[in-house]
Amino acid sequence: MNPSSYILIQILTILAVAPLVNGIIRKSKALTQKRQGPPLLQMYWDLYKLLQKSAVVSETASWIFTATPYIVLATAVAAAVLVPVSTLIIPAGFPGDVIMLVYILALGRFFMMLAGLDTGSTFGGMGSSREAMISALIEPSILVSMLTVGLIAQSTAVGEMMAAMKLVTAPLLHPVYLLLFLALVIVLLAETSRIPVDDPATHLELTMVHEAMVLEYSGRQLALMELGAAVKQLVLITLLVNLFLPHDQLLTMTGSGAVLLSVLLYLLKVVLAAVGIAVIETSTVKLRLFSVPNLAALAFILSFLGFLQYFVLGR
Amino acid sequence: MANYLDALSVLILVSSFVLVANKRISSYIATFRLQSLLIALTAGMMGLQSLRLEGRVDVLVVGLLIVSLKVIYIPNLLNRTFAQVEYRVEKDFFLNIPLLVLICCGLVVFSYFSISTIAGINAGTINMQVVNSVSVVLIGLLFMISRKKAIGQMVGFLVIENGLFVTALFSTHGMPFIVDMGIFIDMITAVLIMGILVFRINEKFESINLHELKNLRG
Amino acid sequence: MVGFRPEQVYLLMMLLYGGAALSALLLRKHPHWGNLTAHGLCLAAAALGTAASLLQLTVVEAPLRVSLLQSALPLIGVDLVIDRLSAFFILTLSVLGGCVSIYSFGYLQHYFGRRDVGLFNFLYALFILSMFWVLTAGNAVFFFIAWEIMSLLSYFLVVFESEQKENQRAGTIYIIMTHLGTSFLLVGFMLMFSFTQSFDLLAGSATIPGWAKDVMFILFLIGFGTKAGVIPLHIWLPYAHPAAASNVSALMSGIMIKTAIYGLLRFVLGYLQLQHAWWGMLLLGLGLVSAVLGVAYALMEHNIKRLLAFHSIENIGIILIGLGVSFTALAQGHALVGAVALAAALFHTFNHALFKGGLFLGAGALQLATHTKDIEELGGLIKRMPRTALLMLIFSLAISAIVPFNGFVSEWLTYQALLGSIGPGQAGINIIAALAVAALAFSGALAAACFVKLFGISFLGLPRSEHALHAREAPASMQLGMGLLAGLCLAAGVYPLGFLRLIDQVGVALTGTAIAGGLQGGWGTVSYPLAAAGTSISPPAALAVMVGVGLAAGILLRVLGGSGRERRYGTWDCGFAAINSRMQYSATGFSKPLRIVLRLLYRPGRELVVEEGRSPYFPDLMKYKVSTEAIFEKYLYDPGLQLINRFSSKLEYRVQTGSIHMYLLYIFLTMLALMLYNRLV
Repeated sequence: MNPSSYILIQILTILAVAPLVNGIIRKSKALTQKRQGPPLLQMYWDLYKLLQKSAVVSETASWIFTATPYIVLATAVAAAVLVPVSTLIIPAGFPGDVIMLVYILALGRFFMMLAGLDTGSTFGGMGSSREAMISALIEPSILVSMLTVGLIAQSTAVGEMMAAMKLVTAPLLHPVYLLLFLALVIVLLAETSRIPVDDPATHLELTMVHEAMVLEYSGRQLALMELGAAVKQLVLITLLVNLFLPHDQLLTMTGSGAVLLSVLLYLLKVVLAAVGIAVIETSTVKLRLFSVPNLAALAFILSFLGFLQYFVLGR
Repeated sequence: MANYLDALSVLILVSSFVLVANKRISSYIATFRLQSLLIALTAGMMGLQSLRLEGRVDVLVVGLLIVSLKVIYIPNLLNRTFAQVEYRVEKDFFLNIPLLVLICCGLVVFSYFSISTIAGINAGTINMQVVNSVSVVLIGLLFMISRKKAIGQMVGFLVIENGLFVTALFSTHGMPFIVDMGIFIDMITAVLIMGILVFRINEKFESINLHELKNLRG
Repeated sequence: MVGFRPEQVYLLMMLLYGGAALSALLLRKHPHWGNLTAHGLCLAAAALGTAASLLQLTVVEAPLRVSLLQSALPLIGVDLVIDRLSAFFILTLSVLGGCVSIYSFGYLQHYFGRRDVGLFNFLYALFILSMFWVLTAGNAVFFFIAWEIMSLLSYFLVVFESEQKENQRAGTIYIIMTHLGTSFLLVGFMLMFSFTQSFDLLAGSATIPGWAKDVMFILFLIGFGTKAGVIPLHIWLPYAHPAAASNVSALMSGIMIKTAIYGLLRFVLGYLQLQHAWWGMLLLGLGLVSAVLGVAYALMEHNIKRLLAFHSIENIGIILIGLGVSFTALAQGHALVGAVALAAALFHTFNHALFKGGLFLGAGALQLATHTKDIEELGGLIKRMPRTALLMLIFSLAISAIVPFNGFVSEWLTYQALLGSIGPGQAGINIIAALAVAALAFSGALAAACFVKLFGISFLGLPRSEHALHAREAPASMQLGMGLLAGLCLAAGVYPLGFLRLIDQVGVALTGTAIAGGLQGGWGTVSYPLAAAGTSISPPAALAVMVGVGLAAGILLRVLGGSGRERRYGTWDCGFAAINSRMQYSATGFSKPLRIVLRLLYRPGRELVVEEGRSPYFPDLMKYKVSTEAIFEKYLYDPGLQLINRFSSKLEYRVQTGSIHMYLLYIFLTMLALMLYNRLV
């Protein structure tokens, strides 16, 4: 598959599905709480509504404030290009690996933290400083676990890692991959600002981390920020499900029919992952901010143990 | 089969990390229950295999014993004993939790370096499982040292016993039955005595903070 | 350039620097012309240096030997050797020096009439010249002399504004620490001579026994580590860099600490030829610790220059991680991994000179505009100094290793090198390499947090004091100097292959392995073969995708939502009205969560002074002061100093009796001892 059609498929699929994931999570949470909850397509309507509204921008804010939503969306989409939804569509030798993925997302996070400080409001600064702490504690876990998978797959390109994981029978029953999977689940919860690290549905500013940074945004800028966060969430979910629950080895046919089936199976996995996230969110509570280091230490230990089990204890 | 045993040994190690990372009394007991369940699963799988291959049922019986004792009876006993105690969450630590977790990781590395020199151990599978199990023993001991309240010492002792049991299980796939029985009886006695003592200490001193026992110096 | 021989270019360069120094001294009475000529000549010399070193790296094969002085005393001669390693460092020196000279046109204008700018420029030009000599010295004696001159000149530059007490203290700590390190170097050189009877740096070290090489390695490590600022020998850096003027700080942080890296490469890799793998692992461990601790301490600072000084320690740590992996791999015979790690370390050296130099220049611009170094008193400067703000943003992004700037590429290469060094069967190296990966990730995220704090508190929000209210944009020459550096940061990030090909030439010269073959991939792509499958990154492609998406989003929004109306209003204030600058986050507050998480490291001390008003719930005044404990000074250096003081005072009573006869007796006994030694040996 040539690179430009690959990029197109990736961007379109992930952009289209990202708001749906949020809808599934909210609906599942509501059902477990015996409520009806919002419709599955609610976020699409929300984004459309926000686009029609005018924005109120603080007088203290500078060009960084207005540029950040575009940068957040752009980095999320650039990250989406790096994580294939199906191993059948990866072009050969496509540049970009998991380290680049992490640092592209870091660009979006950098500007989001700056935008929190830009308006001179206390809540924005608070969100930025908390986000700085949480992201600093979570980064080692991401990189150690991704690099362990990369070492086993002999390459850090995400497509190559997925192709190598296809050859492993039942990765989740293998101790090393199980540990890395658990570590990455904790990382996913932290990066997408979900319970137990941060509550995405809170209205209390003192409990916000991610929401505090986007507090001042309105209108189309808020739409871009929300969409960017949803795309980032889907990118991380894709990484997780495609690495540890590979499905392409189940397909026996070839050709464009196979690609379509592969993408459908991928969507099924995403739905399962979204329901899983909703279950985790409803069954735990949001941690006190200074208990988050305990969780981050656990995530790091899980990933480091995974590395140890493979490379030191010799499997 | 070997793969499942590997995964189980790793999960047992992870459960001991989760134990160290916790602060709530009920979580200590619940994590211990989970760990014992995993050990029972391991014993059960080994028992089924030995039943199929050699016709011996002792490992299976041991597994059932573990389920009845360590998964059901002892955690309920602990819960009842500590239902009368005032607090629910430990707030006071010698070393904070993330540091303890990192030290536990160092213990795993340390036990690897120590055990890898034993001859005959380097048979791939057994190596990893034995290292994991010995690490559970060390982590249980660290847990005993690091907690100030008596419940910490009790659960730590039980985790050490878990770790020893699972080390023996992984390296020999089943011990003589009489040895298992002896260990169980010892353990039950110890738990009963500890439970009674803690109850009495709580009655007398209205606290089970063992750190304050230092005041009893002569 | 056709008619010139390469040696003549370098001689011309030295002459130009000397001329700059001389003209600065001669034109002291006319500071404007003196400044112009001095820095103009420095700029010309820098341009020549860039051209010559580029030529050396691409065309010229063999190292150049330039013999300047042959004296009658044996073994003491001034000869320069310029091979590819020296040429690479001269390139870094020239590029940074040129941009700093352009910056100095405008920067030093503020000192006219208040300080002796001629003397300053004299010291400055000679300082660059001494660094050039360090990088090209051909024998150990000349290297040592040039090293000493460099240390002395930088000391004078650090204490240039000597009436402030903290500058004096900074200078004292600096000169003592650097001489401590130099003494270790001296012992190493003496060992070198005692075994090989020669000081020539390009000669072989085959006659030195193994144990002596180990000892020499440790001596060189301590000596160069002191200059580089490796933990625990780093305590002079946070004092010296803030005390010096900004252009000098830029040079010190950008090049002077890199001369230590050059020394390590020249002496350990080139001369001692890497006997054991544990040398590399020791470097890796030191690099790991420096990277994490450096950025951890940087987070707590709110004096801009101290913050940047601690960051230099972190980046030296990253360079040492690369060097450590390289040395370990080369000692074990894995040539490819060793070459890649070496390329990563060298590229990071170059990148760090670019963005750290730029950051110090920006800090100087800030200081000139606002007369304060404390970021707690700044704020809102992005509207008053927009271009400086943009440049500082670019440098902050580059140092946090963010795509698409150059810091990312060198960190990516370091990660790949670490991965390449992990293999089955070597438990110790695997564990340290995994810890190094975790340390790199942790320090990268902390660095991003630190620079969000620096940029956000200084430039964004509302001005926090009078200083920030009246700031004005920096003069054009300062912006040009910084702009050139920023442009290079972006260029090295978007087209790293060009720079990596240059660095590869250095690697080939040092290790004999070329990685340029593996660095193929077309324009803008860098690929590293990790076993069979290739991994490649393409920063310009990522940049193109991001820009494309941004534009597409803008256009789509216009189509779907019409031209958006934007209303300007005050920041949301919960209905209390009148948000003022005191309500925003301060730098101390921003770093508080991390201060609490890492409190075992910082042991923060807190002081809260409350003046009660009419009721304890409405105090009149509250003063909160938080400080971190300087662990290394308190637990490592102070006890050592106390020990030395006690020992000295005891010795003073016994030995320095004040009696002439005792002193004459000492001289007599020493003469007898020397004559006895002569007889016995």
